[in-house]
Amino acid sequence: MSNTPENKTLTERLVSWVNGEREPKDQTLFVMEKRHRQPRRPQPSDEEHEEQERHRFRRFLRGFPVAAVMICGVLVAVLVWAVMTMPAFGEAGNPINNEVAEHYLEYTEEETGATNAVTGMILSYRGFDTLGESCVLFLAVSCVMLLLGRDAHNTDEHDLLKIGQEDTIEKQAPDRILQQVARTLIPFIFLFALYVLINGEVSPGGGFSGGTILGCGLILYTVSYGHAATSRWFSAAIYAAVRTFGLLLYAGLYGYYIFMGANGLESTVHFSMAIDLAVGLVVACTVYGFYTLFQRGEI
Amino acid sequence: MTVLEYILLAGLLVTAIAAPLCKRLLNTVIVYLAFSVIMAVLWSLLQSPDLAITEAAVGAGISGILFFLTLKKIHELKGTKDE
Repeated sequence: MSNTPENKTLTERLVSWVNGEREPKDQTLFVMEKRHRQPRRPQPSDEEHEEQERHRFRRFLRGFPVAAVMICGVLVAVLVWAVMTMPAFGEAGNPINNEVAEHYLEYTEEETGATNAVTGMILSYRGFDTLGESCVLFLAVSCVMLLLGRDAHNTDEHDLLKIGQEDTIEKQAPDRILQQVARTLIPFIFLFALYVLINGEVSPGGGFSGGTILGCGLILYTVSYGHAATSRWFSAAIYAAVRTFGLLLYAGLYGYYIFMGANGLESTVHFSMAIDLAVGLVVACTVYGFYTLFQRGEI
Repeated sequence: MTVLEYILLAGLLVTAIAAPLCKRLLNTVIVYLAFSVIMAVLWSLLQSPDLAITEAAVGAGISGILFFLTLKKIHELKGTKDE
C-alpha cells in the first residue's frame, strides 16, 4: 500500500500536494472529533456571542486611537532624531562632497558619453542595478498576469456578462469629449515620451520617466477609444514580444558593454540612448499591462 | 523663490495630513495626487528635474489611474454601484 501518507516518498507527496489532493495531516484530529464530549463551558447563544463581540470591538476602539497616536509619536521622534544627526543640507564640508562624487560629475561625459550625469550614473556606472529594476518590473507584470489574468478556466458567465455590458455601453454611447481631447493630446504625449526617451542622455528624463509617459498615452488611448481599438494593433502576442525584447535588448547591450571593458562603446553606438529605449519599452509595457490587467484581466 | 518654496512645503504638509482624514476614499486619492503634484514642483525647485518628471508621471499619473481602477472594483466611485 503506497497511498497511505506514511509510505509515500517525498516526491510523491510533493506531486500530490501540487495536484491539490488533500490528505489528513494528523489522524488524531479525526479521533478527537469522533468522541462526543460535552463542551467544558456552555456554548453562548448567537445574541450573547454578538453582544460579546460588540463589547470587545468597542473596547478595542477605545484603546485604538491612543495606541495609534503613541506609535506615530514614537516613529516621528525616531525620524526627527535621525534627521538631526545628519549634516546640514547643502554645506560644502559634508561627507558626500568627496572625490567619488567629484569624479562622477567630472568624468561622466568622457567615460559614458552621457551629458546628463544622472543618466550616465544609472545606465552605465550602476547599469546592473537598473537591469535588476527592469527585471523587477518584468516580473511584476508576470505576477499580475498570473493573479488577475483571465482564461477559459477561471472565467464565469458573470464576468463575461459584465465586460460585455461595459463594451456595449462604450460602443453605443462613446464619450465624444474624451475622444476629441484624446485625439488632440495623444500625438503630443507620444512625441513628448519619445523626446524624453531619446534625449535621456542629454536632458532630464530617461527610460523610466519616458516609458511611464508612453504607457500613460497608451492608457489614455485605451480609455477613450475602447479596449478593442488598442488590441487591434497591440495584441497580447505583440505585447509579450515587446516587453521581452526590451529586457533582452537591455541585457544584451549591457552584457556587451561589460565584456568589452565598460569603455569606448560611445564612438560607435549611442549606448545610453539604446538602453534608455529598452528600459522605456519595459516600463511602458509594465504600466499599460497593469492598467489593462486590473481593468479587464487580459491584454 | 523661497516664498514659493514655503508655500509649497505648507501645501505638502496640509495634503499629507488631509489625505488620511478624508471621509471618502475618492477624496483621499485626489488629495494624494495633489501631494504628488506639489512634490514634483518641489523636486524641480530642488534642482532634480529627473525626479520631478518621474514623480509627475508615476505619482500623479499611474498611481492615480491604478487607485481609481481599484476604487471602481470595490464600488467606491459614485455611480458605479451596479449591484
